[in-house]
Amino acid sequence: MTARRQSRRDALRLGGLATLAPLLGACGVSAAEPRSRVLRVSQPDEAKTLDPQKQGDMPSMNVLINMFDTLTTRGTDNRLGPGLATSWSVLDEQTWRFHLRPGVRFHNGEPCDAHAVQYSLDRLRDPATHSPIVELRYVDGATVVDPLTVDVHTSKHDPILPAKVSLFGGVAVPPRYLDEVGPERFARDPVGTGPFRFVSWQRDHELRMRAFPGHWSGRPKLAELVFKPMPNPASALAALQSDEVDMVTQLTPDAARQLAGYGGVRIENFPGMPTYYLSLNTREGPLADRRVRQALNHAVDVPLLVKAVLDGKAREVPTMFPREANGFDPAIPAYTRDIRRARQLLAEAGYPNGLDTRLTASNADSQVAEAIAGLLAHAGVRAKVTVLDPSTYKSRLTSSNSGALGPIYLAKNTGWTGDAESLVQSNIRHDRRQSRWHDPRADRLIDIEESAVDPRARMRAFTELQWLLHTEAPFVFLFQLDNILARNDRPRWRPNAVGVLDMDSAEVTG
Amino acid sequence: MNLLRTIAGKIGGALLVLFCVATVVFFLVRISGDPVKVLLPPDATVAQEASLRASLGLDRPLFLQYLHYLGGILRFDFGNSLFYDQPVSSVLAERLPATVELAAAALVIALVLAIPAGTLAALRRGKSSDTGVMTGVLIGQSTPPFWAGILLILVFAVGLQVLPASGYGGIEHLVLPSVTLAIYSVAMIARLLRSSLIDVLGADYMRTARAKGLGELGVVLGHGLRNAALPVVTVIGLEVGSLLGGAILTEQVFSWPGVGRLTVEAISNRDFPLVQATVLFFAATFVVVNLLVDLSYTFLDPRVRVRA
Repeated sequence: MTARRQSRRDALRLGGLATLAPLLGACGVSAAEPRSRVLRVSQPDEAKTLDPQKQGDMPSMNVLINMFDTLTTRGTDNRLGPGLATSWSVLDEQTWRFHLRPGVRFHNGEPCDAHAVQYSLDRLRDPATHSPIVELRYVDGATVVDPLTVDVHTSKHDPILPAKVSLFGGVAVPPRYLDEVGPERFARDPVGTGPFRFVSWQRDHELRMRAFPGHWSGRPKLAELVFKPMPNPASALAALQSDEVDMVTQLTPDAARQLAGYGGVRIENFPGMPTYYLSLNTREGPLADRRVRQALNHAVDVPLLVKAVLDGKAREVPTMFPREANGFDPAIPAYTRDIRRARQLLAEAGYPNGLDTRLTASNADSQVAEAIAGLLAHAGVRAKVTVLDPSTYKSRLTSSNSGALGPIYLAKNTGWTGDAESLVQSNIRHDRRQSRWHDPRADRLIDIEESAVDPRARMRAFTELQWLLHTEAPFVFLFQLDNILARNDRPRWRPNAVGVLDMDSAEVTG
Repeated sequence: MNLLRTIAGKIGGALLVLFCVATVVFFLVRISGDPVKVLLPPDATVAQEASLRASLGLDRPLFLQYLHYLGGILRFDFGNSLFYDQPVSSVLAERLPATVELAAAALVIALVLAIPAGTLAALRRGKSSDTGVMTGVLIGQSTPPFWAGILLILVFAVGLQVLPASGYGGIEHLVLPSVTLAIYSVAMIARLLRSSLIDVLGADYMRTARAKGLGELGVVLGHGLRNAALPVVTVIGLEVGSLLGGAILTEQVFSWPGVGRLTVEAISNRDFPLVQATVLFFAATFVVVNLLVDLSYTFLDPRVRVRA
């Protein structure tokens, strides 16, 4: 059936091409590079800016990571590896020392040395930069030890600083160029040290980069890299089918399912870090009772949710720590999915007839929220689903009122640092803004993992915290979503668990 | 002299409308939420939020912000986009050519199709060609642009592969989005022209024109269309405004880098200066087009000229 459809489409295509060949000559790849070495990638959102220190969002970082290098990197094995820094160590509790790679130059020839790293960190911290990058909150400044050594000072020990400089805040910017041209021109015509150099950008249409032969890791296999923002998934998939892009990234399981069976389109999913959970307001109402919270965990059949709603493109998580995160303990079991046990726990807590509650979600996750409400209903928990536009959701999430999103809300953590600290920094310790749980044992464990110099002490704290989360169930633990992409036969590329679109290792054929 | 006074009065009215829009949008956008919450990731601390709020000037008293904003408008300075950290005027200028290009192409398609279709339907009233045109018009008016757009993509980009599915560039990129955008306008203009022309065709002066011995084509073009054009010109004027500002869905479907998409993004990002500027832009477009339509009446309709 596919072959027949394909041949009919091919015939139509030939007829169409014959009549409109002159028009089509203008679209697609640039005349300078043979098509075989150009990769065209689409993502749903456009980069906010090309100034890497004025963005803190993944769509921007996906583009910028190809033009700029970071101090450390996270490869497809998900391990923290060298980037602009070849090694790093704790000098004292408030100082991290980074040894830089020799001979690295920006695309304009300017050296990328300790002075450039110091300049970059100073610019990031300068309020005039208006940087939305927040994870380097403990960084007080940096000092140049020698041209290839820089010390980063923090107000308190930050055990995961090397992981935090693997994206966003870890980018090095060129001091001389920035001083010469100013921030506005820099954002229009960026200069980095990355594997690709900037060529052109027409906002909301196309960003074009060319391979930088002088990159420290060697010349990329691609000659050109093109990013195209395509907000509408149906249009992006149509662009893939009509050979206008080679790869459509950040697909939802639903969109990927629509493409199944089309010739020449391959759907691939890779283990992803983004982790979903339900936040429960344990400070009041029925959810203050541990048995009710445990009942909810027994009621939400996550494997069924993954199979039925997410097309198998996600993995159940035992707690809220994804498997690839530093701190994950595989010994912690997931909740058994047991409706009878859930009903029994609810009855013991004084709710033999179930209970009524509300479940809030961002409208991007409405399908998952509706499905969870359906699963909860099996145990007698009648959750009314409210969906909000993403901005309203985010405003309420970070408001000073921890109940602004209601008793239960669906939340997601990207976990991009790869360390469990980032996953639990805002929602566990009782004085953090998104925390709706007060347990002195949890507070103590957070304090240890956020400040211990000894990595083994941190791991012990994480393990203990996961057991505590499992027992006390202040959240309903759900799944970690895969990175899903659709591609034609040309590209070969594999993302890491964070899913950042660094195309240094990508290849194209044909 | 009277004509000049009328024009001056209309321009004054237009400026008053723009001032009101500027004021309403300033206060309305500020009750929609806090941009700092959208700009910073959820794990930002209260201190980090306060620091960014202060550096963006959002912690100043509202009235001072309002005065600063009005002063800026008088100098055509709309401030810096909070999200892009660039002057709003340059962000808008980047998108404007694409929007104007799309709107102009859609308007041309709409007029080229709607005028003959409306005229034909009016002249053949009650006959099968009228029914055919009116059925097409009904379908066109009831087809949502996002659906029509996807359908056109499936046929011409995915199926026939003769036109690109999305993007911005040469004329081949313009075809599908402009046709999608024009569908509704074709339907509306054709429908209006038909009813307006039917009214005119029965008028006494048409009979007089025929009695003078003019051919049917001359009667319809020289007397019928000219007189039927008045309400149609008004609608075309409003359509220009809608096409410039209302192409949001079409821009979304075809990844067209226009002002409509920018506006939606600015609203969801709570980018106050950008929302203010885009709303003012749309308002100014409507006001200017309406003004031109009003003024064109003085030339198209001698009665208006005489009254003035």
